[in-house]
Amino acid sequence: MRWWSPRVAIRSRGRPPGAARPPAWGRRAFLAAALALAAAPAPFAPAPFAPAWAAAPTSCEAPPELLDNAAPLPATERALAEGALRVLVVGSASVLGPGSSTPAHAWPARLEASLHESRPALRLEVKVRGGRGLTAADMLPLIEGATSPPPHLVIWQVGTVEAARGLEPDWLAGRLATGLEGLKERGIDAVLMDQQFSRFLRANADINAYQDTIRIAAAGQGAAVFPRYELMRHWADTDRIDLERAPRAGRAAMVDLLGDCLGGAIAAFVLRGASLAAGPRP
Amino acid sequence: MEGSVGAPAAGEGRRPRDLRADFFRGIALWFIFIDHIPDNWLGHATLRNVALCDATEAFVLLAGYAAGIAYGGVLDREGWLFAAAQVVRRVGTLYVAHIVLFVMFTAQVGYSAAAMDASIYIDELHLDAFGDQPYRALLEALLLRFQPAFLNILPLYILLLLQFALVLPLVRRPRLLLALSLGLYAATRLLELELPTWAGGGWFFNPGAWQLLFMVGVVLGYRPPGAAAGPLRVPWRRWAGALCVAWLALGFALLFLAWHRPDLGQAAPLWFTGVLTEVDKTALHPFRLVSILALTYLLAHAVPASAAWLRHRAAWAFLAMGQQGLPVFCSGILFSFVGRLALEYNDRVIMQAAVNAAGLASLVAVAWLSGWYKRKERARRSVPALPPGRPA
Repeated sequence: MRWWSPRVAIRSRGRPPGAARPPAWGRRAFLAAALALAAAPAPFAPAPFAPAWAAAPTSCEAPPELLDNAAPLPATERALAEGALRVLVVGSASVLGPGSSTPAHAWPARLEASLHESRPALRLEVKVRGGRGLTAADMLPLIEGATSPPPHLVIWQVGTVEAARGLEPDWLAGRLATGLEGLKERGIDAVLMDQQFSRFLRANADINAYQDTIRIAAAGQGAAVFPRYELMRHWADTDRIDLERAPRAGRAAMVDLLGDCLGGAIAAFVLRGASLAAGPRP
Repeated sequence: MEGSVGAPAAGEGRRPRDLRADFFRGIALWFIFIDHIPDNWLGHATLRNVALCDATEAFVLLAGYAAGIAYGGVLDREGWLFAAAQVVRRVGTLYVAHIVLFVMFTAQVGYSAAAMDASIYIDELHLDAFGDQPYRALLEALLLRFQPAFLNILPLYILLLLQFALVLPLVRRPRLLLALSLGLYAATRLLELELPTWAGGGWFFNPGAWQLLFMVGVVLGYRPPGAAAGPLRVPWRRWAGALCVAWLALGFALLFLAWHRPDLGQAAPLWFTGVLTEVDKTALHPFRLVSILALTYLLAHAVPASAAWLRHRAAWAFLAMGQQGLPVFCSGILFSFVGRLALEYNDRVIMQAAVNAAGLASLVAVAWLSGWYKRKERARRSVPALPPGRPA
């Protein structure tokens, strides 16, 4: 019944490698149909961010206002003060770093490295739990089962599989509420992470509905959302990191760069959340 | 949408067309087009940004309204069986339209995957059920148990009309109709009834709940023969208007703190921002239901049917769209496919503007063409019928 169940998911997809590329005429016809406007270079740059690093197109610095939405992370703050932090990363495929050259290039590993860099004395433990095609419901036991010792912080990447399969957003909302409530009762901080930016996903799934759901669920529990989608869109718009436009040969390197950038941005986001919990609210 | 069938509703000057319904349905159809294109900047300007309801609610309510006018009139003139047959014929049209759109959507996913070389994503997401089980997917689509993203309004509409055909005579007993409808709504929500989908879970829009909004529209739209007003009067009361405004303001405050600016929302108590997590769209949460009804109450009393601006040229485009509901709705879904592909290719400001301008222009063109054709055909049909039928 559940057509996406892992059993079914392991399959050979229709197109053998290299076969049946899209016919060039189809694409050309579409481009013409796309109002012939694509040819005009768009003079638009999404937002004028700090020019210092805007000059370096390979940089993956995040626009500050995107990371401003951090919520206070009191448990993380205490753990940092005590010198030992345990982080649990839960999510679907992207936590495992598909497409990157080694698992050490996936964003959870880069998050760990980045935290290490900024807090060398910290005893840090980052656990990653997840897998391809997991829904929020599949992840709940992974979160609830994280005991002895429990983490201080859970980074929960969610919403992609639900959007792709068109599950009811309300169904997702219910699972998120359950998960976030449970974490709050256990005194564990939570950061939700939304989808990757993908033009393909956006064109074929009702992605905004699931982003709204994640945002509202987080607001309802006082948790923060790490805006992965917006960040990646920013990087794509400014021609820094764009997986869908990367030439095949350079893709693995770009996936690695993305993992590095995301890891660094999340580390900054977490540290900012911790500092919000420490000091007086700005 | 039914009103657009024209024939029954626009009867021989019995009742002037309510241009307000046409106008707001036109707006709703436009918003549906906009909201069907993720990351469309105009999507920040649609109803869902300011109220706890969106174009879907407006569309369903006004569909009920038009159905009440059109099929209520047929019921009074021709009887239940004939009116029900007409509803079922309309359902057939909707079903065919849905299947055609489904086939197009499937083709779009395939094209899009190839054009973007999205194997990295499609593999992770298995978005295309057709890649997995083509025959099964086709069967489930025909059974309306497989509704890909953006193709969930027509199945709802089909079910609503089928329910309506069954209870048609009850339009003459609006209180009973509303009581039954409210009962089904409450049962659907409390017992968590749902129509199953292939993917598990229920329909994106639960017909058992959404029928209430449709039936409210029906009751508001129906006029007994010869009566100047409907059986259910909803007169203006200042306190009721104030309550509606307060309710909509509350909804906006919730949206603002939990969705627009969650950073500011952190200052608000969690029980307040948390309210929104309970407000589901699938089974039309009472919060959303009340929001659209409050909005309707305010608009219906603020805009008289005789308002001059409704006859102004600027309003014409939306009137035309509202009057040709079905073709405009279906082509709007189709245009949103093209719009999504265009934004997939390039989502910068020029493309955004082009997609929205071309989309609206195309919708208006469809509305104009469809209206022109129907008028022409009606005139053509009535001309040869006159001479033999009437001596001198």
